[in-house]
Amino acid sequence: MTEPGTSGVSGLYRGVWKGAPLLLLGVVAALPHVYSGAYFIRLLFVTLVWLTTSVAWNILGGFAGQVSFGFAVFYGLGAYTTALLLNSGMNRASCLLLGACVAAFASLLIGLPTFRLKGPYFAIATIGVSEAVRVVMTNLPFTGGASGYRIIEKGAFHQLLHFYFALGLAGVAVIVSMLVQRSKFGLALVAIHEDEEAAADLGVNPFRAKLLAHALGAALTGMAGGVYAGYAAFIYPGGVFAFDISVHILLMPIIGGVGTVWGPVIGSVVNGAVHEELVASFPQLHLLLYGSLLILIILFEPGGVLGLLGKASRVLARARSAGGSHS
Amino acid sequence: MTAVDFANLLIAALMLAGVYAAMSVGMTIIYGVMKIVNLAHAGFLMLGAYFVYELHERMGLDPLLGVVLAFPVFFFLGAGIHWLLVRRIPASDQPTLASLLLLFGLWLVLQNLGYLIWHNEDRAILTARTFSTLQIGPITFSTVRLTVFGAAVASLAALEFVLHKTWHGRAVRALMQNREAGRLVGINTERTARWAFGVGVAFTGAAGGLLAMLYSFSPSFGAPFLLRAFVVIVLGGLESFSGVAIGALILALAETFSILVIPAGYQPAIAFSLLVVALVALPDGVAGLWNKRQHWA
Amino acid sequence: MAAILRIERLTKYFAGLAAVKEVSFELQEGGLYGLIGPNGAGKTTLLSIVAGSLRPTSGAVFFQGRDLTGAKPFQAVRAGIVRTHQIPRPFRALSVLANVEVGVKFGGKQKSAGDGENGMGVLERVGLGRAASMPAAELSLGDQKRLELARALGARPRLLLCDEVCSGLTEKETTSVLGLLCDIRRAGTTILYVEHNLKAIMSVCDHVIVMNYGEKLAEGPPEKMQNDPAVIEAYIGKAESI
Repeated sequence: MTEPGTSGVSGLYRGVWKGAPLLLLGVVAALPHVYSGAYFIRLLFVTLVWLTTSVAWNILGGFAGQVSFGFAVFYGLGAYTTALLLNSGMNRASCLLLGACVAAFASLLIGLPTFRLKGPYFAIATIGVSEAVRVVMTNLPFTGGASGYRIIEKGAFHQLLHFYFALGLAGVAVIVSMLVQRSKFGLALVAIHEDEEAAADLGVNPFRAKLLAHALGAALTGMAGGVYAGYAAFIYPGGVFAFDISVHILLMPIIGGVGTVWGPVIGSVVNGAVHEELVASFPQLHLLLYGSLLILIILFEPGGVLGLLGKASRVLARARSAGGSHS
Repeated sequence: MTAVDFANLLIAALMLAGVYAAMSVGMTIIYGVMKIVNLAHAGFLMLGAYFVYELHERMGLDPLLGVVLAFPVFFFLGAGIHWLLVRRIPASDQPTLASLLLLFGLWLVLQNLGYLIWHNEDRAILTARTFSTLQIGPITFSTVRLTVFGAAVASLAALEFVLHKTWHGRAVRALMQNREAGRLVGINTERTARWAFGVGVAFTGAAGGLLAMLYSFSPSFGAPFLLRAFVVIVLGGLESFSGVAIGALILALAETFSILVIPAGYQPAIAFSLLVVALVALPDGVAGLWNKRQHWA
Repeated sequence: MAAILRIERLTKYFAGLAAVKEVSFELQEGGLYGLIGPNGAGKTTLLSIVAGSLRPTSGAVFFQGRDLTGAKPFQAVRAGIVRTHQIPRPFRALSVLANVEVGVKFGGKQKSAGDGENGMGVLERVGLGRAASMPAAELSLGDQKRLELARALGARPRLLLCDEVCSGLTEKETTSVLGLLCDIRRAGTTILYVEHNLKAIMSVCDHVIVMNYGEKLAEGPPEKMQNDPAVIEAYIGKAESI
């Protein structure tokens, strides 16, 4: 419903809007060359890793509405797989891919029994699974148990290399998310979220769709864990399998705007900024903040930051058109 | 293993069961009336522990008295939280993700407030009871465990009394059985829900105090017990509070005797695994009215 | 003439109570069948079993010769059995068109007449074309019922199970929906229509099955069922002998 005479402008606007993600990617890729401080690049790196996990979780938790409290399992499995394989001499990309495979396989094992459960019970079951895996990994001798596992560094540490791996992975994650959202598969996930039985009554196979969404999310999260492991060179179960990780992974998309492509991105940027600033000075303050934000979001704005922005822009648009009709 | 050893293990399991049961009734009430999975349960356990601890440290109050005091204090805390937050989520006959996430947010807030106030150090409540033992025949009882067990049983008995003899208690039982019918006979569901939430939090806070007498604690102390409470409820079902006792017994026995077969480090995984197994494999029988499985799966 | 659906001694117990008891009947392809009975007769339960949402305690469901007993709902849909819901269950966050698209994209593989029809086409047929981009949550009850029908149609049913599509509708809306059902049948889809509105059933169905207390009471052409004493008794009670 474009007014005559403005279609050229709105067409351009839409074109810019569509090109914006690419522009953003370019900007972020160039950032380390503008601000080359190691601390800043590390901040970017960590944010990009979180971004991947956030977008990944959203495929299952946002599109399909299956809230998992156990994504740390995939993060940790990806981290350990990559670390073990890196030490055996494999090239980084293959390590990451294999980490993704291990995580995806684990997601099938977890999903097969738990996807029969309805929403909140599924969530609780994932807490149980996640913690069980953490306890097992803490006691497992060949991966170093509680004291962790170290990657033997070969050659110098190139911070930028890790940054670009993280950036590339984040880009892949966002692209996957966009593709899913526009696809038949994405439609099935949203239908399942709305009413799983009604979706099945129209031919959707909910079990298989959930397993696939879980595997996609797990694979991406596993690779994020692998990228992190490569950077940190030392991982331990209390770190990569921590319930805390699962909590962060699910909070980011919910705060940013669950069920959308860019909500999780926003959430991860917020997390990156807030986390790094607060975690040094007030380690628990950021979780306190998140908890309060979560409460506010559930009670007042389930669409998160993106939802708020959407409402604000509609209010502005209405005000503008009301003003325009008077002139 | 000698008979005495076995008896000791069994007694330990029974006493643990008592504590687990006391710790889980709070969650059961809240779930039964409002179908809300109270993830903030861990936070209330933690607050209860610190409440009793502070009373003991600052005023020299016997922790048992602290536990008794916890009941009214936490009742008002729970009712207040219900009024402030919980009543704003739409009620439902099935647990909703909104309620789950809301209470999860509350848990985060409570736990991290705890960190802010009390920092990450382990605390413990040490009294004369903590180290003394009681000898009955060949069995040695730890006095503090015996005391806690007694308190747990007493509080469960008190709960049974409240649920059967008070108006609100009967209203709670009615709503747990059939929400619609309860409304039809004139039960004010919101007020009863608020009362039930208050009672649930009261029992949880008191249980936290009891647990503090047994274990050292820090602000993250509630989490392992939260999961155990889930296991107890899911195993035992909701039909009656005897279900909670059954669930508590199964869990306590599994945990206590598992150290005979698996290395101690893996013991926490027992609760977690039992939880998943219970949720997935148990038919409606033991888990009772929880209609958690989809018909065709 | 091929029987498209054959039900053999279908039984469903819910905790000791028989909701459906030893019901058997056959539906010929291309027919418009009515399923009537007083409240609690087991009609919706029967529909749910055929559609796969419920597993029967015993008995069998044969569709186009294949044994579909115990099939999951999505499998029944892929085979060509699609149902509507008594109380509409729209995907509220999706647009009306997207709702239908779910059926179109995941529905039955078989080529029935009118196959190749896309979501908009189905919406036009049902009279919801103008509402295509509306969020489904904003539809009126009557339109929500149409959407139920549209979604099911989009899934290319060979056998359409309609559950009370006319309840709650005005006289005019009812006539319109009934006309739609006739069109659907004429296009080649077999219809099993559960309804309380006896007038509606009698006016469009060529064959009526009557259930009561979970059992099949009688079946036959509408006029015969209207005058059957057992059917009358089931609905109204024993005739007073004064």
